[in-house]
Amino acid sequence: MATSEPRAAETEEAPADSPVPAVVSAEQYVKHPLQNRWALWYFKNDKSKSWTENLRLIAKFDTVEDFWALYNHIQQPSKLGFGCDYCLFKDGIKPMWEDDRNKLGGRWLMTLSKQQRHNDLDRYWMETLLCLIGESFDDASDDVCGVVVNVRPKGDKISIWTSNCQNRDAIMTIGQQYKERLNLPVKVLIGYQSHDDTSSKSGSTTKNMYTV
Amino acid sequence: MSTGRQHSESRAIPTRTVLINDTTQLPHDYCTTPGGTLFSTTPGGTRIIYDRKFLLDRRNSPIAQTPPAHLPVIPGVTNRNILSENKKNEANNANNHDGKPAAGEDAQFEMDI
Repeated sequence: MATSEPRAAETEEAPADSPVPAVVSAEQYVKHPLQNRWALWYFKNDKSKSWTENLRLIAKFDTVEDFWALYNHIQQPSKLGFGCDYCLFKDGIKPMWEDDRNKLGGRWLMTLSKQQRHNDLDRYWMETLLCLIGESFDDASDDVCGVVVNVRPKGDKISIWTSNCQNRDAIMTIGQQYKERLNLPVKVLIGYQSHDDTSSKSGSTTKNMYTV
Repeated sequence: MSTGRQHSESRAIPTRTVLINDTTQLPHDYCTTPGGTLFSTTPGGTRIIYDRKFLLDRRNSPIAQTPPAHLPVIPGVTNRNILSENKKNEANNANNHDGKPAAGEDAQFEMDI
């Protein structure tokens, strides 16, 4: 059976002035539990297949280290093809409007310019993931369902999905803390839209229920 | 059934938020299974919050250096080339773009090579 015994090599690499190198090394193998188990999905826009056929579960994780093991070994969003998405959702919630935990909800939507694909997309995506798995929104974290990144020719999008578009307090907490965390300029506004409005929209824009 | 039953008042389970920056601060009564992933909190227990720095530090964990077991092969997403590409990019990012890289990130990557 595989155990977490540190190998000799690691022990030798510990700093010489470390009082108890063996303990420090063992610490490196500790897994830190997350509040939630998360599922990472990949969507590829293949027109010959149905939407659900194009949606693929990559992996689930529930520790900090298992998150990084996954993150370190998959493509960055900026290198995905156009029409592709990553979705990270709490285990049990499907990354679609129709899911019971999503259907009354909505999303904080951040639209990026084309230039930002190279400058900001991957950085923002990682920060967003860290916000979610680290439960950065205090009690409002319970309202979070997941996050989606859409890679699109016109401009990429990152959106945080929450469970109920009427939960104003939780939504505002999430929006404000998210904006702060990404270090977005005050003048840059992000909007929250209900999935209902997004799915039934007739034009190209959906009205914002909230903005920060 | 019982008509004269009294309904007790209901209220939300009280919760408490505790910031954890280091493993030594984890609650001593927290449960993990050996090498496993089963954890429990009691009602009124803690929400497990990790700050940015702590999460970034754990990126260098030996556990995070190998892909998850049963990672599906998805062309352009999880193949071998990406793995080495990511490592190169990360080294660059830490040097050039990311304003707040985790301390010692470069050194750790070099050690692994």
